[in-house]
Amino acid sequence: MGLLTNILLAPFLGPIYGTKWTLDKVDRVVREQLTDDTPIKEDLMALHLRLEMGEIDDAEYVRREAEIMDRLREVREWRERFGMSTAGGPVRVAGEDDEE
Amino acid sequence: MSELEKQEAPSPLTASANSADGKYVYCIIRLDRSRDFGEIGIGGGARVYTINYNDLAAVVSDTPIVIYDPTRENVLAHEFVNETVMREFTLIPMSFGTVFRSEKDVSVLLKSTYQAFTDVLEKMQDKIEFGLKILWDRDRVVASIERDNDEIRRLKDEITRNAASSTYFARMQLGRLVEAAMEEAGNRYVLHVHDQLKDVSVASRSNKVIGDRMILNAAFLVDRKDEKSFDEKVKEISLKFEELLTFKYTGPWPPYNFVNIKLKLEKAT
Repeated sequence: MGLLTNILLAPFLGPIYGTKWTLDKVDRVVREQLTDDTPIKEDLMALHLRLEMGEIDDAEYVRREAEIMDRLREVREWRERFGMSTAGGPVRVAGEDDEE
Repeated sequence: MSELEKQEAPSPLTASANSADGKYVYCIIRLDRSRDFGEIGIGGGARVYTINYNDLAAVVSDTPIVIYDPTRENVLAHEFVNETVMREFTLIPMSFGTVFRSEKDVSVLLKSTYQAFTDVLEKMQDKIEFGLKILWDRDRVVASIERDNDEIRRLKDEITRNAASSTYFARMQLGRLVEAAMEEAGNRYVLHVHDQLKDVSVASRSNKVIGDRMILNAAFLVDRKDEKSFDEKVKEISLKFEELLTFKYTGPWPPYNFVNIKLKLEKAT
């Protein structure tokens, strides 16, 4: 019945489902991009390598590093906003209460 | 001068939490009394000392409750402390930026992970890590491939001779052959290096390469007694390939890549 309804009403419902699905997908992709710091860390390592290889000087390193730190902070903020785990900040042993 | 000043101070999580009660943890060592390592800590030379539990000690410095950005300055400070400690102790390095809220929380860490820390310290006794990155000079490697590979040389000669009439297909074919030969050469170099260093190291780990010139990004775990032999071997290989490959050799480091204790940590609120 459900399937049949879907098929029968396809011209009307199709686009709505389609849009919803697309939005979900876009949402997921955007969320992944906003919260993934792997490419930023890779950029940082690449930058460090360029300094080591003498391809850039100290001043340029510091300038670019500042940009990368901004991006890292942004990702951290997004992760916090989505309730995901973040690196850095105070930690403690999980499950240990403040007794004793 | 102004460049350094521009670096932002670590961002306080909340205004009220910004006291210096936090403990930045650098590493875990075996030591049954307290010890001062001097004013070499992260955040501008904080005093580095130990928090002890039985025969284990966490090497720490006081810090406000902040998130430390992995800037070179901060990372170097973290590494410098570990290097200093490493001169005398076998250590388990902590991840960069690990901050506990209080001395008590650090004691809880030592207590609850006591057995795992002890086991790993035993295993890592007198072991050090070296980093080895190998980058190649693409143009030179291509040139050497064109020199040594008959099929590629023939095809290339043909294309150059009949520059006007040589087909798109022939050029594509050449490109593909060179690409394949490059990959094979890269693998061969990497295998050769691993093979040469096998006898002078305990273990190795390959990390993801950075950029398009790097063919190896590896860490080697080496017994302190083999440090010299390892060193000599790396120099020998790098000399052998100096025309084509650049070796970036660093260390000794604490065994960052070989200690894998999953600490059950959670955000302290």
